[in-house]
Amino acid sequence: MNNRNHNIYFHLHTISGILVCAILYVIFFAGSFSFFKKEIQAWEKGQSYTHANTLAFDYDTLIDSINAQYDLRGRDMELYLQADNYQAYISLTPSKDSLANAAGSEAVSLTYDFAGHRKSTYTESYDLGEFLYRLHFLAQLNAIPLNFAGPFGYVLAGLVSFLFLFALITGLLLHWNKIASNFFVFRPWSKWKTVWTDVHTVLGVIGYPYQFIYAVTGIVLIFNTALLLPFSKLLYKDNPNQLYDAVNNYSNDPFEYQHKPLQEPIDINTIIQKVDREWPATQLTNIQFKNYGDAGMHIVFRGAADPHADFAATGKLVYRVADDTVVFNKPANTDASYIDWVRALAYRLHFGDYGGYPLKIIYFILGIMGCIITASGIMIWLVARDKNTVPAHKRKFNCWAANVFLAVCLTMLPVTAFTFIAVKATHLSGQDSLYSVYFYSWLVLSVYYVVRRNIRRTHAETLLLGSLLGLLVPVVNGIFGGNWLWNTWREGAVDILAVDLLWIAISAIGLVAFVKMKARKPKDVMRRSTAKQMERTANQG
Amino acid sequence: MPANKKYLTKSPFQRFMKITAGFVGGYAVMISAHLALTSVFNKDAVVATAFFSGYILWAILLLCAFLARNAWKIWLIYLALAAVFVLLYLFNR
Repeated sequence: MNNRNHNIYFHLHTISGILVCAILYVIFFAGSFSFFKKEIQAWEKGQSYTHANTLAFDYDTLIDSINAQYDLRGRDMELYLQADNYQAYISLTPSKDSLANAAGSEAVSLTYDFAGHRKSTYTESYDLGEFLYRLHFLAQLNAIPLNFAGPFGYVLAGLVSFLFLFALITGLLLHWNKIASNFFVFRPWSKWKTVWTDVHTVLGVIGYPYQFIYAVTGIVLIFNTALLLPFSKLLYKDNPNQLYDAVNNYSNDPFEYQHKPLQEPIDINTIIQKVDREWPATQLTNIQFKNYGDAGMHIVFRGAADPHADFAATGKLVYRVADDTVVFNKPANTDASYIDWVRALAYRLHFGDYGGYPLKIIYFILGIMGCIITASGIMIWLVARDKNTVPAHKRKFNCWAANVFLAVCLTMLPVTAFTFIAVKATHLSGQDSLYSVYFYSWLVLSVYYVVRRNIRRTHAETLLLGSLLGLLVPVVNGIFGGNWLWNTWREGAVDILAVDLLWIAISAIGLVAFVKMKARKPKDVMRRSTAKQMERTANQG
Repeated sequence: MPANKKYLTKSPFQRFMKITAGFVGGYAVMISAHLALTSVFNKDAVVATAFFSGYILWAILLLCAFLARNAWKIWLIYLALAAVFVLLYLFNR
């Protein structure tokens, strides 16, 4: 390969990698757990979704309950439904009729639990599944009041994703000539620098397609404004909603508010049964109630086909309440268009929601591999610069940076396990307490390892601590929720069981890795001494 | 093992121009190229395709800016490309 280009790829890969590594690790770690978001939610509540067939999803009760407290007249209400989950997120806009409904002047965010018929505000119902899910696109950083074209956390996540894509492309070009020859080269008993390099390249090559998909779809999901904004301004000047409707299967179309109360009673359950009949093998994803209680009331249903029935199809149905008619119907269970296909590739490949548990497990492993690639990248960066030719102040800085990055990244495992235990043991709930537990324990532990300044120990101890705490997760679930493994197994509560088994698997692998790490040290020393001896004999000979 | 410095851009100004050429200029080329495509294909489909082609193209253009020997030249090339694409789009609108 051209020497100049090779060195440029190398430098760009290094710089873009070291810029995003710490955040990328957080994204991969939290993102991998997000595949099990609804399982974590079921685990935390002790309420398995597998019992859902005994439950009718009663939308009338939902509406009555919300109407009683928030007076829906003149408001728009939107339900975000999640596949295989009792919980729906709800947002209410302020009422358009400030005379009839003076109290309804504030927007509201709620969560509704169909199983317990409970509603709570979004922040009260904020749980660990939601926390980890939102952490993986840095939503918590939105609290920082900087806004360039979007909330700070999302913009940062989008930028990291883009630089990740850049690092992937440069990494591929860099490694191009050695892809085939080095594919099976893994020398775990060699010196550390070789180990880190082998881990980085071997796992990098194996996981490449997966990582590439995540880099691209990650930008699409979190910061597609970069694309859609110019296109909506230039190509869809007259009707930007049309763009979002077409490419996102989501838009917020206004419907005319008529300022006349609706005469007919609203029977949502019957309407939803009709939609279900209209679209068999479909999952409703989103329901918008427009102009609630007004003569101009419409209900917009969005759905996606069950992935086994059709990978890509999505649909939209608009229902006018006043005269009980379907105004618009694009079926959600069939006739996927080209755009549906592109969108399905971006969304389904990212969410990994089309192949059940086997796929989720593969995705999880590949996601954690992303963490390992990132961490080994930091290590390569450090050891490659740990030479006498590098000026002392630079070496000091490199050491400091790698130490901080790794302390922050590697403590995520014990901190996450600890939070699982904490939420179960103390039944704490809500955004504030979850933030406190996770972020403060993370801060304390990372500060400890930053101060300790021993990267080897950081690696070993976080692995050990994380694995031991991880083993406690199923135990805590048994003691505080009665959901011992054998109970959930017997009841067929697969989702709750999955979380316990996941932690047992993580802990088992973590412990094996820890033991191997400890056992490795003398071997390394011996190798080096034998190598020296051989060198000496060779010289003498 | 770090990259050999002899091949990297030394002047901070040249480096800055390359970064901006790749990031801003590359973005302009990417958006305008897709705009030009709308004169041939359905615009909804072009925008949807850009979910993948857009970001990948942008990242490649960012890389090409660094491979260039002269930052002015790459800025000029990107601006020229963007101009051609925009003209194509405007003529076929």
